[in-house]
Amino acid sequence: MELTVRKSKHIYIIDIEGEMDLYNAYKLKELVGKMLEKNISHFVVNMDQVEYIDSSGIGALIYVSSALKKKSARLVITCVHGSVKKVIELTKLTGYFPLEDTLKQGILKLMKG
Amino acid sequence: MDRIEIDDNHRLMDTQGMFFKEFPSDFRQIRYFTLLIVQKAPPEIREINLLEQQISELIKNAVKHGNESDPDKLVKVWYTFSEEEARIIIEDEGKGFTAIKDWNEFNAKRNDCLSNEDYESLADFVSFRTEKSDDNDGGNAMFAALEYWNEGVVFTDKANCVAVGKTFPRKNTGIELD
Repeated sequence: MELTVRKSKHIYIIDIEGEMDLYNAYKLKELVGKMLEKNISHFVVNMDQVEYIDSSGIGALIYVSSALKKKSARLVITCVHGSVKKVIELTKLTGYFPLEDTLKQGILKLMKG
Repeated sequence: MDRIEIDDNHRLMDTQGMFFKEFPSDFRQIRYFTLLIVQKAPPEIREINLLEQQISELIKNAVKHGNESDPDKLVKVWYTFSEEEARIIIEDEGKGFTAIKDWNEFNAKRNDCLSNEDYESLADFVSFRTEKSDDNDGGNAMFAALEYWNEGVVFTDKANCVAVGKTFPRKNTGIELD
């Protein structure tokens, strides 16, 4: 799993590429933790290039959602598809996560408020 | 299915006619062991990699929580796949998942939050923890398991062995005869 960060105005986009599983899901938690220390407040987690997720990956997304909420930072998770979408549905967290279909929609949502 | 069952004599516990493999409890090889099992499954039921993902969770629980990643302890797996059904039984040498009653109560509360669309309260029920949970445990695998394995998730009384099953809808052959 590779994580890259890019920036669009005040919004930081974390692109995840690869498999978010029990061996590497912790990397996302670490990265977001470091970004929060720098007082970043608008996050997009872009899952466009993620084809596999397991319960540790879902756990990392839950951790990120709640850590950002505690700091009053804003988050959208974009481009969830395929089996990743199915695992989120099976875990019944589709309504819990701030999901947007496309990266553009995600950015627009963060720009609005 | 709305709860994990405990039943030594459940139909899903019957290993007759199933393939068998056993593995040392090597945490680094959980996904590899899973692939060795899933390769027996017909592509029609793999649903990209959902079957693999669901089996991997059960093997991870056996390796990590059951055998505490002790390489001297084995995980035994019985499995059978067809285009209509997947069944798997996984046994470890650990003390058993003794928190099943707590888990079922936790899951019932979680389902109440979900049916009320109460996402504020749901935040307290997204992850099931015990005193042995660590930061890398998602604590959500069995919620998805109960949804996925539509024939049930059943533990033995000792709770170191879990059996699951799923039926798949028959695919339309595309030939209409009338």
